[in-house]
Amino acid sequence: MNIYLPIAEMSANIFLFLGMGGAVGFLSGLFGVGGGFLVTPLLIFSGVPSAVAVGTEAAQIVASSVSGAIAQYRRNNVDIKMGVVLLSGGIVGSIIGVQVVKILRQIGQFDLFVSLSYVTFLGIIGSLMLIEAVNTIKKARAGKAVSARRPGQHSWIHGLPFKMRFHRSKLYISAIPPLVIGAFVGFLSAIMGVGGGFIMVPAMIYLLRVPTNVVVGTSLFQIVFVTAATTILHATQNKTVDIVLAMLLMIGGVVGAQLGAVAGEKLKGEQLRALLAILVLLVCLRIGWSLVAHPADLYSLSGVVGGH
Amino acid sequence: MAGRATAISAAVAIGLLAIPLASRAVAQTVPPVRTPVISPTVAAAPAAAATGEVRPETVESDVSARSVAITAAFSGTQIVVFGAVGQSRQQSAESGLYDVVVLVEGVTAPLVTRRKSNVAGLWINTESVHFDRLPSYYGISSTRPIEEIAEPAVLDTFEIGFEHVRMMPAAGQLGVSEQKLKDYRAAVVRLKEKESLYVRNDYGVAFIGKSLFRASVSLPANIPVGPVTANVFLFREGSFIARHTAHVELQREGFERWMHSFALEYPFFYGLFSVAIAAFAGIAASAMFRRGSH
Repeated sequence: MNIYLPIAEMSANIFLFLGMGGAVGFLSGLFGVGGGFLVTPLLIFSGVPSAVAVGTEAAQIVASSVSGAIAQYRRNNVDIKMGVVLLSGGIVGSIIGVQVVKILRQIGQFDLFVSLSYVTFLGIIGSLMLIEAVNTIKKARAGKAVSARRPGQHSWIHGLPFKMRFHRSKLYISAIPPLVIGAFVGFLSAIMGVGGGFIMVPAMIYLLRVPTNVVVGTSLFQIVFVTAATTILHATQNKTVDIVLAMLLMIGGVVGAQLGAVAGEKLKGEQLRALLAILVLLVCLRIGWSLVAHPADLYSLSGVVGGH
Repeated sequence: MAGRATAISAAVAIGLLAIPLASRAVAQTVPPVRTPVISPTVAAAPAAAATGEVRPETVESDVSARSVAITAAFSGTQIVVFGAVGQSRQQSAESGLYDVVVLVEGVTAPLVTRRKSNVAGLWINTESVHFDRLPSYYGISSTRPIEEIAEPAVLDTFEIGFEHVRMMPAAGQLGVSEQKLKDYRAAVVRLKEKESLYVRNDYGVAFIGKSLFRASVSLPANIPVGPVTANVFLFREGSFIARHTAHVELQREGFERWMHSFALEYPFFYGLFSVAIAAFAGIAASAMFRRGSH
């Protein structure tokens, strides 16, 4: 059964996108990740123009992270003040990112930039996760105790000006690092069509030393608002948000996420992380391959962006 | 809510689509057998015309659907272009005195063609040519291959054929050599053919009687939305005699129209609306599953 997508301007199989949303939702429920880094490449592989894939995925991430953010807020796991600082940076980053998307589309380099960003970030994150998970598994087998978090140390970050007190996180640090991290994640969110939790969570733990119990909630809080802002910006600047496509992905996604969460309870944390790392590296290799393999046709056509 | 709107517009679409693709088989006609023998009356015709007794041939045509609705269920459609030769001098449909070319053109638009080359191991777009205007859809149907119908110069005049359609680089581009332009034009045609947007059907026009002819043309799902023109050209022995133009309006209807104009005319509110739907979907889903699990 086909449906005509109003913004992507293509006729697409409903079940393909429901299934795609479902499969990624399952994985995100299983691993506890957003899944944007999987949906955007899958949309591009299935023929959706990359700019539409990125813009639409922002809307879907709002749907997939809003319920998590509310649940965390109810449990008092959100540092609102920290979230607002991250978010302020995030919106600035998103505004810049959406403009960069616009310029790159005009000069025909957007696809390249998206692919390079994915290869770089998925490659780094996937490798780090795999190494960490394998080490944890080895240590667990050797019978040693596993410490989840390194002991707190003072670093150069704590010497910066504009210090603010974050009560919920029990921190007194400069506002500059969270603003910069927020801006960087907002920028990535706009150009890659991801929530950016995979950057935000490690950055908050290792750079800002936010206590782990508020990291996930605060990260989700800022993802909801930054992706909401990114959706509106893509809709106004690039006109690349296809709400029909987003809804198909959402419907598949919420069902898949519930099933994934149930399945996730049966696997160990480090095994899950190793599997996720392998998945991330596979996506990275697939995108990398499309950059280095000889293209089927050297030529490509596109409409004139910004014409009318 | 939106799901129901989709279902309604899908139902409307079935009523509005002129001829669904399923009827394609009906339209495939066997190419007419061309007889080289010209009947005496036909041979006498030019002489009769010279004396002023017989008026010259004309052509009239129309399209089976004046408007095609693009709805949520749109997956391409088939239109039939039909017409008649006025003052036809051929004895039967098989005489082959006349050649008809049916040219269906979509809205013209500027286009950028880019070429990749290998830079440090990566395939990157390095060159491009901007074309100022070319048909977004271009379907040629004819009674026989167009190269047999008329000389290239004639085809150039009427822009009939992939090699003859006007396709010029936009002004202000430097370094577009003849050879480069030729390569890029070939690439445009090749890529458009791959997307079924440039279509050629060498025996797609069939005479049904001595003057009546028809051609069925399939408009793919990815055809750009806008006015479509159907030009019918009548040729006899390699020379152009008459032409006629009919129009098909290709427009979004119902839900598709509403969504598309909302997104383009009120992009900020469309963005807010998208976010609201997403937030609502997320909250509703979690509420639903929480209730389900208890």
